[in-house]
Amino acid sequence: MNFLSLAAKNLLRRRGRTLLTVLGVAISITVLFSLLSLNSGYEKELNKEVNSMGVHILAVPKGCPYEAASLVMHGGVIPKYLSASDLDNVSNIEGIELATPMLMHQFIGKDEETGEVVPHVVFGIKINDTKRLKPWWKVEGRYFTDNETDVMIVGHGLAEKQNYSVGSVMQAGPLKNFTVVGILEQTGDQDDQFHFIPLTEAQMVFNKKNKITTIAVKVRDVGKIAAVSEQMEKIPDIQVVTMTQIMGTIMNLAGSARSLLLTVIAIALIISAFGIINTLLMSVNERTREFGMMKSIGASGLDIARMVMVETVFITFSGGIIGTLAAIVGSSLIEEFVKGMLPYSPKGSLVSLSPELIAFALVFSVVLGLICGLYPAFKSSRLTPMEAIRGGVE
Amino acid sequence: MKSIIVANGLTKVYRRGREEIHALKNVDFRANEGEFVSIIGPSGSGKTALLNIIGCLDTPTGGHLQLNGAEVSGLAERDLVKLRRENIGFVFQQFHLMPTLTARENIELPLLFSHKNRGRNKIDRVLQMVGLEERGDHLPGQLSGGEMQRVAIGRALINDPHILLADEPTGNLDSDTSLMIFDLFRELNRKGLTLIIVTHNKDLARRAEKMYTLRDGKIRVCEIFS
Ligand SMILES: Nc1ncnc2c1ncn2[C@@H]1O[C@H](COP(=O)(O)OP(=O)(O)O)[C@@H](O)[C@H]1O
Ligand SMILES: [Mg+2]
Repeated sequence: MNFLSLAAKNLLRRRGRTLLTVLGVAISITVLFSLLSLNSGYEKELNKEVNSMGVHILAVPKGCPYEAASLVMHGGVIPKYLSASDLDNVSNIEGIELATPMLMHQFIGKDEETGEVVPHVVFGIKINDTKRLKPWWKVEGRYFTDNETDVMIVGHGLAEKQNYSVGSVMQAGPLKNFTVVGILEQTGDQDDQFHFIPLTEAQMVFNKKNKITTIAVKVRDVGKIAAVSEQMEKIPDIQVVTMTQIMGTIMNLAGSARSLLLTVIAIALIISAFGIINTLLMSVNERTREFGMMKSIGASGLDIARMVMVETVFITFSGGIIGTLAAIVGSSLIEEFVKGMLPYSPKGSLVSLSPELIAFALVFSVVLGLICGLYPAFKSSRLTPMEAIRGGVE
Repeated sequence: MKSIIVANGLTKVYRRGREEIHALKNVDFRANEGEFVSIIGPSGSGKTALLNIIGCLDTPTGGHLQLNGAEVSGLAERDLVKLRRENIGFVFQQFHLMPTLTARENIELPLLFSHKNRGRNKIDRVLQMVGLEERGDHLPGQLSGGEMQRVAIGRALINDPHILLADEPTGNLDSDTSLMIFDLFRELNRKGLTLIIVTHNKDLARRAEKMYTLRDGKIRVCEIFS
């Protein structure tokens, strides 16, 4: 016999209560583990995504940079514009390989089957620049040229959703029909959801002559991004957003969502800790006489404390194992749930189940037990044998 | 003959709110090594208080106690633990067995705290000594009252104490079973164990070598039988 088997037998004596306490711990650990694994996966995916972007710097009209950044990522309309002279000024900066103008516009379309109203995002682009900027673009059908009219390329996801194929004709903007000449092969990023038309055509159709919303910049040397963006910031109308900034912004947004979740978890953990302490105090009180008996047969206060501690850690560690397993099994469910809550989520799997994280969750559950067991253990170790034995009788 | 327990002028005062209860009033008590001593007295006369002080489970308010020639009064709980562990076996009226442990495991329990490993043999010997060879793997719930008390006695013996203290060990048992338990005590005594037994039952108490009668926190009589 040892302290461990004694603890196990004691806990089995009150199966129901033990089970409930274990479940309480398990739930807390599940939430904790899921959040941490989501967090590390999220950061990893986000980094991957930004690194694969061909665009290093974006110039947008002066305004709120955070809003701009999130609009660029989501595809939204920036209600301010840059001019052709801004583009010239940018192009003249030393170290820039390519600066291409874009006009982003949103229009409302109707889903043909459901009649639902859906927002569409159209980019007016210069096709050759874009091909250089995004060398991974492949198209089914063909690209348009910059001078063509009534032509459109659509992203893969969008085409699938709206049932477009090469040759489809659709209406976009005020009373204007476009023919789909090309469908992008899946890029895995936001381009999958966009419409692309020649820039000059876009400026005409949407009545934004000579206006652009964004200048996308590719630099010659990635190390010079900071220097180039510094030069660009000197142009009065321009707000500069580097991709690292965008990532930072998203990280910040995700960060605030995360700190909220962390708070919730901290509260959940504290509540569950008090639940554990309460259960322990209850069972320790019920067993006062038993502890008295143990002292009378040679147990020291330390022995009693150790017994309570072992039982507590037993409970929290079991909870830790169950909670971690549940989190691993349920990770895809949780991922869906959290993806819906985050301001921006990368396409890859958000959950990253590293062995370190599993180890952390288990160690954490042990530490939780040590903390929770402290007071009940201290309390029961302090009883004099007399108090203890009398305690139950009177 | 050598004195193993010497108590002089023991007093014990319990406080219950503002009320003071004098459970022991200047009690002198003495037991020789290998002696079988019984303590009788009406309920509330201080028997349990006295036994607990002798067993170092409780500290006296005043007076002195020597065990094995060494002064005990004034020792810290840390030292008292060792003293109890090495010298004293305790038996209670309510047995106080762990319901989740078998008879064998209950008897083994003190070894967990004394960090001794006595092996199966020793436990078998103790089981045999208390007449439970066949019952080692039973849980307390599957045993009769007499058998449970035997388990408790076995548990008190596992660390080879010099003194066995029993507080109304037959209080919950019928008279036949009580007699058998007393026979067991006699047998242990013959093997050299010092026994202090508190009881209500005068007939049983007379089976000891020496009988103290407590009343109102004072020793009234000390009879010696041969
Ligand atoms: N912890 C305690 N607090 C207050 N009074 C106590 C306590 N323990 C015992 N007493 C009182 O001390 C007296 C002696 O008790 P006890 O030694 O248990 O008597 P006995 O064992 O002879 O029946 C009784 O009056 C009892 O009520
Ligand atoms: Mg009593």
